[in-house]
Amino acid sequence: MFNRDLWSEIWHSIKNNKLRTFLTGFSVAWGIFILVLLLASVKGLENGVTRQLNDDASNAIFIYPNETSKPYGGFEAGRRIVFKNEDIEFIKNSFPGYYEYISPRFRRSVNAKYKKETGSYTVVAVKPSYRIVERTVINMGRYLNDNDIENKAKVAVIGRKVVEELFKKEDPIGKYVTFNSFVFKVIGVFSDEGNEREESNIYAPITTMQLLYGNTDEINDIAMTYNPDFNLAKAISFSDNIESNLKRKLSIDPDDQSAFFMNNSAEAFSDISNFTNVLRVMSIFIGFMILIAGIVGIGNILVFIIKERTKEIGVRKALGARPFEVVKLVLLESVFITSLSGLGGLIFAMGLVGLISPLVDAPAFSNPSVDTITVVTATVILIISGVLAGLIPALQAARVKPIVALRAD
Amino acid sequence: MIEIKNLHKSYKMGSNSLHVLKGIDFSVKEGELVAIMGSSGSGKSTLLNILGMLDEADSGTYNLDNVPIKNLNETKAANYRNKFLGFVFQSFNLINYKSALENVALPLYYQKVNRKKRLQKSLDYLEQVGLKEWANHLPNELSGGQKQRVAIARAMAAEPKVLLADEPTGALDSKTSYEVMDLIQQINDKGNTILIVTHEPDIAQMCKRIVHLRDGVIEKDEMVEQVRASQYV
Repeated sequence: MFNRDLWSEIWHSIKNNKLRTFLTGFSVAWGIFILVLLLASVKGLENGVTRQLNDDASNAIFIYPNETSKPYGGFEAGRRIVFKNEDIEFIKNSFPGYYEYISPRFRRSVNAKYKKETGSYTVVAVKPSYRIVERTVINMGRYLNDNDIENKAKVAVIGRKVVEELFKKEDPIGKYVTFNSFVFKVIGVFSDEGNEREESNIYAPITTMQLLYGNTDEINDIAMTYNPDFNLAKAISFSDNIESNLKRKLSIDPDDQSAFFMNNSAEAFSDISNFTNVLRVMSIFIGFMILIAGIVGIGNILVFIIKERTKEIGVRKALGARPFEVVKLVLLESVFITSLSGLGGLIFAMGLVGLISPLVDAPAFSNPSVDTITVVTATVILIISGVLAGLIPALQAARVKPIVALRAD
Repeated sequence: MIEIKNLHKSYKMGSNSLHVLKGIDFSVKEGELVAIMGSSGSGKSTLLNILGMLDEADSGTYNLDNVPIKNLNETKAANYRNKFLGFVFQSFNLINYKSALENVALPLYYQKVNRKKRLQKSLDYLEQVGLKEWANHLPNELSGGQKQRVAIARAMAAEPKVLLADEPTGALDSKTSYEVMDLIQQINDKGNTILIVTHEPDIAQMCKRIVHLRDGVIEKDEMVEQVRASQYV
């Protein structure tokens, strides 16, 4: 099928129609160019949004208490829900194997003071496992550990922003900071990739803070991650289970939607991936529509070429060319032109994307790129286009009657 | 070699039907050199087209080398043409972007002869028509006579049973015409069967047999004393 003679035939007919071949090739290249740019943009959008979600672990669930909206079990509506340490234990005991890490959060605003510098920050009191849920990155020193919890140690891990403001260029590790009237020792500095605001926070052991602030067992909210092996459906049913169990434990109407809020990142991720999938399908659709213009162009040219070559095709048939061989010639020529020019468009688009990708870094749009799937999709579309474009002219060529073609002119 | 019985052919021309061939009985033996003569409209080209399987008869039988030619689909007709027939046309019909050599090699390409063998064989045939030095020239670099000789080499390259020539000298001056006829006679001398459609009496006299067509029937079928073209060259 791919012998030298066939290629020389194709080469001849392209060489004889350089400008026309170029013009139609351009329309196909343009179509592919736009298709690839669209797909790369969708990828960029996906990257951007995903990165914003990356603030927390992708399998995180947060539970925020609120007020009840319905009377239940002898309580009136409007009761403030407050989580306690035992609620964490309750979830741990009810769902072994379902959760991966779990930590309470206990927040207090403090005025922090180091030497002459002061600032107001939020201390988030947590357990060591919280580092995984929040995806905290330790830059210096260490994070909280179990000993700190056990000993109710007055230690703090402070955010990068806090270091900048309180310590300027000084090394904060081992220094003592005053939070309101309590003195804490700085044991680590962290940063957080997804969220800069997070970096003005301070982490301290939950036990220490509960002791200092009224020896309470209350907590503000619950942060956890579910078993990473769970798929989306399982993750959502898990958070639904927690919700109904907590409602039973805390005497809340099962239908009460406002007593507390479950924030499951699985849902957000699934929304995003649905969204980008729709966008991707739309891009392929739009790109294909544009390509159709190119396909019609190539088909048009080939029809003309066949008209011009009617006599030649007649001669070939008189010399023994079978209809299939004529069809093959025209189809291959079409596939060749579309593929080659499409490849040009693809390479050009990839080059452009590669060039601007490092420059584009908006919050919801980062690192647009062309992946293998895009390239494969484009290639398949091109070959289909080539066949479609060549089909009508090829059949037209196969129908050429040698006697008509050879009638002396 | 060729046997035709009671061949009829008519063309629809709008509402009228034009009866072109009205019962032709005709046979050609191996090694003959036959001229088919007739004024325009006598049906000589139609007969040649049917012989060349470029057109199909309405009724009658046609046997070529004892193979009945009927109910041909396109692929089958192409195979038969490739195997049995060589064509020479008035307007040469060389493919203008292919060199003389490639033109000659084309029927061999459709016979699926491999490239090397094909080009060797084509070169041999070009040598036989005296155009070896012109092998790599394009048709528009050749004179009319040279073009027709390339076309004859092309027709012969496939080693056909019958060579069909439609007014092979129609577009040539008389000197070149005789050169071409000389070549055709030489090919015939080697035992090849050749049919020539012509309306020029001097060309017809260079064949061994003349079939006169008139209004779709054979008017006269005579053996003639062959005039050798070489004496005019």
